[in-house]
Amino acid sequence: MKIAKTLSILGIAVAGITLASCRAGGENQGLEFAPQMYHSVAYEPLTQITDSETKGEIISNREDGKGEYFNSNINNPHNMNMREPVANTVPRTKNGYLPYRYKAFEIEEAGTTLKNPIELNDEVLTEGKRLYQLYCTPCHGTGGQGDGKVGAIIGGVANLTGGAYITLSEGHIYHVITKGKGRMGAHGSQITPENRWKIVHYVKQELQGGQNADNAATTAEVVEEVEADQEVTQVETPAN
Amino acid sequence: MRSALHLCNFEKLASGSTFAGVIINRINYLISYNMLSKRSLVGVRLNFHTLAVLFFMLIGTQAFAADPAVVNSDEAIAAGKAVFNANCKTCHKLDQKMIGPALRGASERQPIEIVKAFIKNSQAVIASGNSYYNDLYKEYNNTIMISHEFLSDEDLNNLLSYIEYGDTVDPAAAAATTGADGGAVAAGGGIPNEYLTVILGVLVVVLLLILVVLGLIISVLTKYLTKQDLDVEDKEFVTQKTNLGKVFKSDMFVVIVTALVVALVAKTALDGLYSVGIQQGYAPEQPIAYSHALHAGTLEIECQYCHTGVEIGKSANIPSANICMNCHTHVQNVQGKEGVSPEIQKIYDAVDNNQPIEWVRVHNLPDLAYFNHSQHVVVGEVECQTCHGPIQEMEVVGQHSALTMGWCIDCHRQTEITTEGNAYYDKLVQLHTDSKDALKVKDIGGLECAKCHY
Repeated sequence: MKIAKTLSILGIAVAGITLASCRAGGENQGLEFAPQMYHSVAYEPLTQITDSETKGEIISNREDGKGEYFNSNINNPHNMNMREPVANTVPRTKNGYLPYRYKAFEIEEAGTTLKNPIELNDEVLTEGKRLYQLYCTPCHGTGGQGDGKVGAIIGGVANLTGGAYITLSEGHIYHVITKGKGRMGAHGSQITPENRWKIVHYVKQELQGGQNADNAATTAEVVEEVEADQEVTQVETPAN
Repeated sequence: MRSALHLCNFEKLASGSTFAGVIINRINYLISYNMLSKRSLVGVRLNFHTLAVLFFMLIGTQAFAADPAVVNSDEAIAAGKAVFNANCKTCHKLDQKMIGPALRGASERQPIEIVKAFIKNSQAVIASGNSYYNDLYKEYNNTIMISHEFLSDEDLNNLLSYIEYGDTVDPAAAAATTGADGGAVAAGGGIPNEYLTVILGVLVVVLLLILVVLGLIISVLTKYLTKQDLDVEDKEFVTQKTNLGKVFKSDMFVVIVTALVVALVAKTALDGLYSVGIQQGYAPEQPIAYSHALHAGTLEIECQYCHTGVEIGKSANIPSANICMNCHTHVQNVQGKEGVSPEIQKIYDAVDNNQPIEWVRVHNLPDLAYFNHSQHVVVGEVECQTCHGPIQEMEVVGQHSALTMGWCIDCHRQTEITTEGNAYYDKLVQLHTDSKDALKVKDIGGLECAKCHY
């Protein structure tokens, strides 16, 4: 009688502790309810389950005999689910921007030919300021004086308000954001072309006081012309 | 005239010490010698300056054989400092190597006109074949210094004045100020955590000691009392023992204990059941010990700088190695330590071998629910920290929120919508005018099943 009682109490305690260990924390992901919903069957871009041995506890009747949750594309390099676009693919944005063709060293050409296609207005400036604060302040600082916290560590950050930079063309700034220059890395993969041009507007108008800006190109006519012009040059220059 | 003036000074000084007197005699002799050989190719002036330098070095004062255009005046130094701060300071320091060389003494190392030409257009001077600047260019890994054509000759003179005479640092004074700063920090820090633990520990020990002492006193007193002549009642009281067994067997005790155990087990069981499928607190070790506390906290890099998808797509994106390399091409170790940090080396290996870094996924919604980052971050203007917690303080990222349906719905019920200046909401606001409450996410379909489950 006494043994039965002790056993039952022990049983309850053990059940309680087992359930408590379902809780996630640290390296433990916790017990999953409907695990097949957590381990996607379809390929997911940022997830990759490479374990092809472990069979699941619930169902494991895959035709290819792989582990229940195996989810990697065996045809891709490193079995990744993401894949680089086919060579010579031309991505198109809704604004019709074509890929940037100038190479990193073609800074002179970019500086003289590129014109800001975004019309300058207050909204663009506000957005430009926001974007500048996201992507540029770590190094160039809020005022553009090259005094950002990360810039202090990296060193050699341009003072955008300094004499050597204040007269640079908008195309030059756009090229440097896209391809990098000196100690600055290329930010073309992080910031969309439209956003880069908005940052250029903000830098030119607010930080550099509008010196050598493309304001003349803000009328609709000229913008169209510039865009058409760009497309021509872009088709002619070889792909990079 | 100049020589005569200096002679007076020398004589004044000479009265101080015999050693200096000897030197001054020698200098006087040399000066008179130079005056005689005025027409020599070397020239009086240069020789006099050389001697002056020698003399000042001997008496412990610094001097530079600088061009007369580079004047040591407060005005010129202040103006030069402004030019320096605007154009030079991110790459150069006066007395320390940075991206470029330490600048002090620049106008001594090369003729002043070449120094000025170099500041204006460094590449032209290097191309002209100046060997000193070519060597310097090589020493600094062919780092190109940008042109400063816009600087006027006056700017350049002021700049050189600042470079030669500005902000001289007395090492002893510098050490003293840092020492004082250090002391102030230590004094202003309050009581550190470790001390609190120590104090608590000591208190516990003291309490235990008091308990032991009390126990000893009781036993001594009991012993003393049992030896005395006492009444029967008193004797019984003194010799009585606490009967623990009786207490344990009492109904009251059994009921209380059973109730407590049942409640505890039930609570653990329910909590455990509720935690099934919830990964809150999951904080796996990552392949690279990346610290959000350092990057997002101390260095204040915005989340969007690396998580580029957060404003344009469903997923916030894990940055690719090229984004790391924007900074880590130059930053090779933490807090300015020497060498390459083993953790940062992992990025270099990944880039060199074109090998993906396999980060461990922390936040994972089941396939039955749809979530879109851009919708919440751009349209809803929700801060990252609202759902992800104090990321800027996390060394290792863990899942902060429960990410259950109840959690989503709670927020949708409470969050008001900013409708001003957005024509999209005009009709919805009109439809909602009857209600007393403000327009919330729940009112525009935030509770509809098919918004997230389809």
